[in-house]
Amino acid sequence: MYQFDWSIFWKYIWPPTAFQDPLIRTGFIVTIVASVVAQTLGVVLGLFVALGKMSKFPPFRALGEAYVWYFRGTPLLVQMALLFFGLGVTHIYDFPDIIWGTLTVKGAIQAGILALAINEAAYMSEIIRAGIEAIDPGQMEAAKSLGMTYGLAMQRIILPQAAKVIIPPLGNEFNSMMKTTSLMEFISGTELFFAFNQINARVFKPFELFIAASLYYLALTTVWSIIQARIEAGLGERKGIERTPGTLQRLFAGANSKGVR
Amino acid sequence: MSAAPASAQAQPDASIVVKAEKVNKHFGSLHVLKDIDLEVRKNEVVVIIGPSGSGKSTFLRCINHLEKINSGHIYVNGRLIGYLERNGRLIEDSEKNIARQRAEIGMVFQRFNLFPHLTALENIIEAPVRVRKIPQAQAVAEGERLLTRVGLFDKRDKYPNQLSGGQQQRVAIARALAMKPGLMLFDEPTSALDPEMIGEVLDVMQELAHEMTMIVVSHEMGFARACANRIVFVDEGRIVEEGTPDTFFTNPHGERARQFLSQILH
Repeated sequence: MYQFDWSIFWKYIWPPTAFQDPLIRTGFIVTIVASVVAQTLGVVLGLFVALGKMSKFPPFRALGEAYVWYFRGTPLLVQMALLFFGLGVTHIYDFPDIIWGTLTVKGAIQAGILALAINEAAYMSEIIRAGIEAIDPGQMEAAKSLGMTYGLAMQRIILPQAAKVIIPPLGNEFNSMMKTTSLMEFISGTELFFAFNQINARVFKPFELFIAASLYYLALTTVWSIIQARIEAGLGERKGIERTPGTLQRLFAGANSKGVR
Repeated sequence: MSAAPASAQAQPDASIVVKAEKVNKHFGSLHVLKDIDLEVRKNEVVVIIGPSGSGKSTFLRCINHLEKINSGHIYVNGRLIGYLERNGRLIEDSEKNIARQRAEIGMVFQRFNLFPHLTALENIIEAPVRVRKIPQAQAVAEGERLLTRVGLFDKRDKYPNQLSGGQQQRVAIARALAMKPGLMLFDEPTSALDPEMIGEVLDVMQELAHEMTMIVVSHEMGFARACANRIVFVDEGRIVEEGTPDTFFTNPHGERARQFLSQILH
């Protein structure tokens, strides 16, 4: 009969005691920061991939198609390993640690964030493209008839409208991103799962520790779901889009569930 | 008074705003415009009518290069629109140049195409501020003046979905006018409107007709009779008949025009 270690469990599940461990503290911060940075980069890069795919210029289209094909068609974990270990061994880029004063960003974290962003861009490009294509072509025509260039019309007329279509799935992507950052453990990126794994290596209590780890992720995604519901409700009120599902429905309906890629 | 200096003859006639020469356009195997020739003079109001699918809207959209043409020339204010001519061949102009040309041509669409995320006033000032780089305060003042002119000053902060169709179209007209275009194109501006709203839009257009060069694709015969200097009847991609409203409506030459008129006038 397995003896459940309540003291370890409570120590690591209760934030004030858990956060005394610098590994957990760092891991928690890295997970949040990496999620935000990778998602942001993913959106920006995804926008360019989307514009490439919609370009009138065939080589841009082909490039966009190839990008999505490759990064959606291969596992993120493999992409991450290729980027960090692969580039490292060739010395094309070694991912040296970046030091800003007292703050050090480890190479593994940089590589992890980059891999997450590159992968996310492939998914975001499809979301952004769908958002842009949902806008009535008459909007672009009206903008052009007023003397706007394609770029200005995109920026001022099309994208602000497409954003309403893009934001709900973008929120789901971010929810997914927070969980997917755990893959950085594989390249020793010091995020939350890495922290729990390190502690486990010391005390060997995988059952207790990984339950605790899972609950931290659950807390993050739950808080985000609440924020997301607020954002979407505000969006709907102002611009008249359909009501989005409530927080409870969102958490338990399973419509947003998505596995690790 | 009438004797112009000889050198002026070489100059393009400044009173001609639009000049189309042998314009042809194909959509795939469909030949939608066939050798269209048309001249529109300054302050002239030309109404283009014709059965649906005759190519009249397509031709209008070629005038600001929303549609490409396959051959021929369209000049606006003496400049080839959308293209450069090199060794007798048409090459599409740069995006920037095309945008610059379009800024001088106002267009009003059948489905209004107001920007739904902007208020009425924001719709109007967007292009003056972003394209013409006019200071915000000045653009707002001019925008408010235009809204007053179309009778919608009190709707300045409403979003398009809070306005009726007729109000939206009046805002769309004000939006086009805000760029101070030398030419206005109207693409069936009243055909998406409920009957009770057509009048308010036509009133605005009628007022404009006194002071602007306009090309209007429309079946509003009342407007055509009252405001048009010339009616152009298009059928199957060709200009079949041209004339003053009086002669066209009372005594059309061709059988096609007669048939068409009897259909729409009952």
